[in-house]
Amino acid sequence: MTAATEPAWLAPSSLEEALALRAERGDEATVLAGGTFLGILMNQGFLAPSAFLSLGRVPGLARMEADGELRLGAMTTHTAVERADAVRTGWPALARAFGLVASPRVRNQATVGGVLADADYASDPPAMLAALEARTVLRSTRGERSVAIDELILGYYETCIEPDELLVEVVVPPAPERAVYRKFRSRSTEDRPCVAVAATRGGTRVRVVVGAVAETPQHFPDLCALADGEELAPGLCDEIGRRYAERIEPMSDARGSAAYRRRVTAVEVRRALEDIAP
Amino acid sequence: MSAVGLDPRVTGAERYSADVERPGMLHAAFVRSPHAHARVRRIDVGGVPDGCVALTGADVEPLGIYGCQLKDQRVLADVARFAGDIVAAVAAPTRVAAKAAAAAVEVEWEELPAVFDAVAAVAPGAPLLHEHAGSSAQDAVSIDVRPIDGSNVCHRFLIRHGDAERALRTADVVVEEVYRTPCAAHMPLEPHATVAEWDGDALTLWTGTQTPFNVRADLAGVFGLPEERIRIVAPPMGGSFGAKTFVRLEAVVAALARKAGAPVRATLDRTEEFLTLNRHPATIRVRIGARRDGTLVAKELDCWVDTGAYADCGPGVATKLGYAGVGPYRIPHVRVDSLAIYTNHPPNGAFRGYGAMQSVWASERTMDLLAGELGMSPLALRRKNLLRDGDRFATGETMHDVHFEECLRAAADAVGYEQDPRGKGLCVLLKGMQTPSRAQITVERTRVGYVVRSASCEMGQGIRRSLRLMGAELLGCEPGQIEVPDPDTDTSPFDTRTTSSRSTHMMGRALELAVADLRAGDGERGTGEIVNEGGLDPDTGQGVASSHWHQGAAAAHVTVDEHTGAVRVEHLHAAVYAGRVVNREGAELQNEGSMIMGLGTALLEGVLFADGQVTNANFSDYNIPAAADLPRRMTHDLIEHEGAEVHGLGETALPPVPAAIGNALHSLGLHVTELPITPESVLDAVDRR
Repeated sequence: MTAATEPAWLAPSSLEEALALRAERGDEATVLAGGTFLGILMNQGFLAPSAFLSLGRVPGLARMEADGELRLGAMTTHTAVERADAVRTGWPALARAFGLVASPRVRNQATVGGVLADADYASDPPAMLAALEARTVLRSTRGERSVAIDELILGYYETCIEPDELLVEVVVPPAPERAVYRKFRSRSTEDRPCVAVAATRGGTRVRVVVGAVAETPQHFPDLCALADGEELAPGLCDEIGRRYAERIEPMSDARGSAAYRRRVTAVEVRRALEDIAP
Repeated sequence: MSAVGLDPRVTGAERYSADVERPGMLHAAFVRSPHAHARVRRIDVGGVPDGCVALTGADVEPLGIYGCQLKDQRVLADVARFAGDIVAAVAAPTRVAAKAAAAAVEVEWEELPAVFDAVAAVAPGAPLLHEHAGSSAQDAVSIDVRPIDGSNVCHRFLIRHGDAERALRTADVVVEEVYRTPCAAHMPLEPHATVAEWDGDALTLWTGTQTPFNVRADLAGVFGLPEERIRIVAPPMGGSFGAKTFVRLEAVVAALARKAGAPVRATLDRTEEFLTLNRHPATIRVRIGARRDGTLVAKELDCWVDTGAYADCGPGVATKLGYAGVGPYRIPHVRVDSLAIYTNHPPNGAFRGYGAMQSVWASERTMDLLAGELGMSPLALRRKNLLRDGDRFATGETMHDVHFEECLRAAADAVGYEQDPRGKGLCVLLKGMQTPSRAQITVERTRVGYVVRSASCEMGQGIRRSLRLMGAELLGCEPGQIEVPDPDTDTSPFDTRTTSSRSTHMMGRALELAVADLRAGDGERGTGEIVNEGGLDPDTGQGVASSHWHQGAAAAHVTVDEHTGAVRVEHLHAAVYAGRVVNREGAELQNEGSMIMGLGTALLEGVLFADGQVTNANFSDYNIPAAADLPRRMTHDLIEHEGAEVHGLGETALPPVPAAIGNALHSLGLHVTELPITPESVLDAVDRR
């Protein structure tokens, strides 16, 4: 019988201390940011950490800077991203994507770093950040590396973050001419997406990322390249939508069957491209 | 803001069952079966640390079996009949310690075959859940149950009115369809919480319940005590919707407290709420026939009602579902076979609407199919056949105080149905109230006003405020001068229970008598009692289903994205017959709350299972309507008449909502038979059109 004790609580007060603890404890201590995802897993009995490494007291991690590019500290809350004037004016689709997550109660708590490190296939922000070509900064006592979203998220709840690394920041390049985030829900407005489409356009170059349909955000550069040098006419939007739908390998869950997701993907990719066409 | 009603819940001053503290109190945690059907071979509590108390099967061996309508539940299961069934319990100084101790209990299981569908559970060769079950001795709760021995049917309710089979052969048009509704969770904010304390052989329980006297009677049987040795105090609840009815945690927590020799409190996690009591899934087949002019000739209803692992009030639900499915229509020939069936799901029980939603969904969707076949307007078809004053219902009872047409017309007018029915749907329903039942109330003068005692339980519906308002009017004082203490079986007079939207109707009239009694006597104290008589013969469905009918209608206007199947409710309207409104704000909130729950039922909600395990037991994966999910317009009527009797209205606006939305889709050629109506199912309907 194990002792009836609460999990150990590690609450470093500097990034150096946090990284040292991370190096020492690795995955034995579960990194805790906003706790919205961990809370569900723990309440459901899917996770029973013996220790938490809480980032709540680490200064500077909730910093947000917009100077050409946008830098979001890992502990920036969804609400902060959604409401920041700099994001709303410079990266409005990103503000929208964060603003569509769950409910205000969740957004007040959930963080930018947390939603990426969880790698939940049904979260909103990853697809939008991938479409905006954001990169994450992973730091450890060994140093720092910059990783694109599609390199970060490897599968269901699986990332490339090493046991001694912390995701400390997200860097979003200057926003393209047009960007849109379309969240299709099959249940409540506060639900996760059934199909999410993030699309950007700079000149004739488009980038379409489909979220919530498969293990990782789905991006097919060869299909996006169909738009190179072309006007986004209805026929082209429709074709890219259809071909995205053919290419993805959708999964079934409570929000929709694989066949349904495929159909909705065709519709929503088309609509996203129509949204950014003008 | 008023000093009564909402204030303490907003300020945090309200004290719920989970807030009850007793000296030396321990905390409970439960050992639950991971299997949907398995026999407990052996339980090892060796790992439970010192200072914790474990309760296992051997401890409860001498205790009685309980169940409000069928005695089929042991205090701890020796055979787990659903994934989550409680087979042992521990008490410890903290909740965390109790959970750790419960996790240390080792159980050896013998897995048994399981069945998860009510139709499959009555097929030959299906695994049997209960060898046999004796009917409950509780007069206040029991209905005349008709279990079928050697099967999973724990109750069979029949209506035999005329000869439906023969009449259908003579009908000009007959339509038939099968409908399904899923399991649903009540989702009150407050979870179940119970505190038990023994003093010698006297037991006190503080518990969130709508049914204090029913719980007392059932526990008396469990512990072999006279009812008077058991005291149930019912603090206000943070919502219930039927979830906190009859014995839930009370028996096991009381047994644990007795073994521990200390008071014990149990408060459930959200996950456990899904394992405690849910809404009955149902499969319903409707056949209805009419003459070419739309006159209804006959109706047949076959209902498979999944009551889960234990009957609870499933027999009552199957009964009410059975007669509500007839609908508020004159139909000369009716046959209903409604079966309450055991499956290896968590128990299903009372849920706002009490079976009416399931059969109204099936019945009222079929009315629109019939209208289509006849080439008639769904509104005209309904109006032609609605029950009117003096008509006989399928149960043989004569209908009085009938307002179905008024409700239906109000709903249809609200959405402009006659001007343009496209995208619009209607539903009209009748719903019974607990019959027979008894309500007592006392009024005593105090130095500052009066104290009104009853066992009507506050669960957010506002009964305390209604009693204060009615009392103030009758007594000629201010509502604030009337004290309404929490129900307490030691000091509150008897009431059948706080269910079926009966409290304002029954207690209000009892209060009139109590005030008259006080006036006629010494002016210090008065007692009033209202009894409603009736009941149905379960073999024929004849008798008095309800002494008082809940009558309502709903209308919906929807638009559909035919590329994705997404449905938007542009306007939802409910019209409910109120007779006379006592507490206007409360009544409006009841209508709105019912409509919103109906919207969730229509479009969002379903408890999902994989091999009997609940897979969406949290607020993130189980979606209830959020503010942004509400219809663009949501309106309602409380229909009143000068001098009319107070009618119950706490549930009436829920059951008609799914069918109104389903019929709105039908007006666009989209036929759906299963709830919830998902965009995927609508897209399938687009493909089939």
